[in-house]
Amino acid sequence: MSLLLFDTLLCGLLLALALASVLSRQLSHAVILYIAFGLLMAMAWARLAAPDLALAEAAIGAGLTGALCFTALARQGQLALSPVVSWQQRCWPALFVLVTLSGLLLALLQIPASPGPLPALVLQELAGSGVSHPVTAVLLNFRSWDTLLELLVLLLALLGTLQVAPAPVRQNSWALSRSWSQLLAPLIILLAGYVLWAGASQPGGAFQAGALLAAGAVVLKLNKQLNWLAWRNIWVRFFAVAGLGVFVIAALAAWLLQGLAAEPVWLRWPPQLAKYIILLIETFATLAIAITLTLLVVAEQPDTPLSLETQDSAGGSDD
Amino acid sequence: MMILLLVLPLLSALLMLLWPRIAPLLALFSAAASSLLALQLLLQVAEQGTRYWLLAGWPSGLAIAWQADTLSCLLILLSTVLQLLVGLYAFATRSRDKLSQGFWPLSTLLQLSLTALWLSRDLFNLYVCLELLGLVAVALVSLSGRKAIKPAFNYLLLSLFGSLCYLLGVVLLYGAYGLLDIAGLASQWQAGWLSNSALLLMSLGLMLKAAIWPLHAWLPAAHAAAPAPVSALLSALVVKGPLFILCLLWLQLASTSQAQAMAPLFAAAGLAALLFGGWSALRTPFAKNLVAYSTVAQLGYATLALGLMLTFDQPLIFAALWLFVLAHALAKAACFLAIGEMSATLGGKRLTILKGASQTMPLAMFAFAVAGGSLIGLPPSGGFLAKWALLQGLWLQGEQLFWPLALVFATLLSAAYVFRVVVLAFDRADPVAPDFAPQLVPQWLALLPALAVWAMALFSEPLLLLLRLEAL
Repeated sequence: MSLLLFDTLLCGLLLALALASVLSRQLSHAVILYIAFGLLMAMAWARLAAPDLALAEAAIGAGLTGALCFTALARQGQLALSPVVSWQQRCWPALFVLVTLSGLLLALLQIPASPGPLPALVLQELAGSGVSHPVTAVLLNFRSWDTLLELLVLLLALLGTLQVAPAPVRQNSWALSRSWSQLLAPLIILLAGYVLWAGASQPGGAFQAGALLAAGAVVLKLNKQLNWLAWRNIWVRFFAVAGLGVFVIAALAAWLLQGLAAEPVWLRWPPQLAKYIILLIETFATLAIAITLTLLVVAEQPDTPLSLETQDSAGGSDD
Repeated sequence: MMILLLVLPLLSALLMLLWPRIAPLLALFSAAASSLLALQLLLQVAEQGTRYWLLAGWPSGLAIAWQADTLSCLLILLSTVLQLLVGLYAFATRSRDKLSQGFWPLSTLLQLSLTALWLSRDLFNLYVCLELLGLVAVALVSLSGRKAIKPAFNYLLLSLFGSLCYLLGVVLLYGAYGLLDIAGLASQWQAGWLSNSALLLMSLGLMLKAAIWPLHAWLPAAHAAAPAPVSALLSALVVKGPLFILCLLWLQLASTSQAQAMAPLFAAAGLAALLFGGWSALRTPFAKNLVAYSTVAQLGYATLALGLMLTFDQPLIFAALWLFVLAHALAKAACFLAIGEMSATLGGKRLTILKGASQTMPLAMFAFAVAGGSLIGLPPSGGFLAKWALLQGLWLQGEQLFWPLALVFATLLSAAYVFRVVVLAFDRADPVAPDFAPQLVPQWLALLPALAVWAMALFSEPLLLLLRLEAL
């Protein structure tokens, strides 16, 4: 009974926060409400027994996205008034949303209560996957091709952002927030290491650990620390790329290890080595994710000819 | 060996990010090697039949399924070859057009994401490929600098909305059947409210991404804002990815009743795209927008063919659909490169700069006219082959008068906008003087895909045979 009350309250709060965030007139209020929404969303995932998602949502949805929105706001300066949208113009999107929503609700009612055949299959094959946590097994063994491409999606998001990155803002940080961020840093590194290691047997893993590290790095970056953490630094580039590189090279090595079998299978880990391969991939992926997410949030004009400013001012610097 | 088609572009893109200096050469090398590998794969599949893979060696359902049939292999070959041609053009003009270094890794990753998409037969993996494709395309558009930020941003938002719609549909299907691979889903498929709404949501997202009328409004701005080599890649390849998934959904998953119900909508959307796209191409004052609107119109042929295929279930129409895609990809790459070359040399974006271009830049103009011939469907080009297959498929059904007439009208419209450019180019009284001596190599490179689309006619019989087999 009390759980039901909690769930109803959670759902009501989620809806109220979402509405308030969309409808609030001041952008800074909207962002704060959105962060609160992200935190409650993480709690909702936890209630749905999906702790992996809850961790990711708390780190990305509430933490990094919030920081990203605030940095964008700070750079925006004086906002021009948004144009007034007439009621007729609002009608069509509202109608579309209503129709889709009711159709979706009707469809959701028809979804069978029993889960499909896959969860049972995952548990059955778990022993040969090299890890004991089913989510990690799916991500890094059963459907590792998806994860590889997802890492690439993240890298691409960064490449796209670097094209349009703004010029750095000269701002001083408060002494208090600077020392606080320095205090936090070792704790976050420790925590990220634990989350990464825990991923093999319980909720956690590369993505959550990377997001945690990135959160710590973003706080430091916003306080004008970690000046070396920029795209122009070749080591930063190397580790941002190494997550994917190690993944592919491990896959190639495993492919060659299957040797001269008639038809080697792509991305198949040898069962006795699977644990170590997955740990290796996850370690490099954590670093890559952390660097990529940090640079995504506090992207600054790189000195490479990738960016707009250099294009506009220096022109033909592409040789 | 086939895995190298994916590993080679990925590793070379990563190396390009580390050492931007070697990027152009590495990109060209990877595209050339991939083209050879793709050709080898096509020959192998044509000889030995379709190949299937279950990734990571797990049982079906748990693993991601790949399938290389002749259609996938043809599309892989098309992407790699166009990648190579456009890469060569970009290399030849890189110092003149101040092409950003970002082009090389991004275009190589574009090739990777397309290859992954053509191979995949798993709904969620297809979503990841779509997402990759969308992000690469947006990043490529924003290479143009400040003026491209607004179209690129609109493209990003619409593309994300499309991806989310598709993902929602995948979630519904996973909830209903607990499966993600297409073959498994097709065997358990039941027509019902759930599968209807999933199909509709996914189609909405895919149509938005494929710029199928009436969801095409973002395309002309985005494609016209990008640098010439990027527009060529976007128009020729990127919009075809979502179209491929749309065909997979409706031809392999949907039940007959669902397909029959949707068919008239696709056919009508295709016809409307042909008419409105053609009309806008006839009216626009900008050269690149003309070519971009022509993409909207030409995608109409593919949509129309999809609608007719769902109605009549005729293998010839299926072959026509993919012939349209192949012919359009080659012709459009040639058009964008030729127009890009002429606007760079003659200096300007408006169509009027092409005045007298047949005299000042005969080679580029010839490339545009030859490619335009295929867009119109003049024999013996690839466009003609596709149109002929479509008409033949319709005739085999008998008593069809409306669709052939509509096709004739659409052909006249496309002839009108191609001739609009050609007539202007032959107005030799007062030609626009080039800003600098026209360069020969880029013009030849623009001509190559145009010649390739006419060469398609030479291979018409094997092409038709391969594609017809795929429909059964």
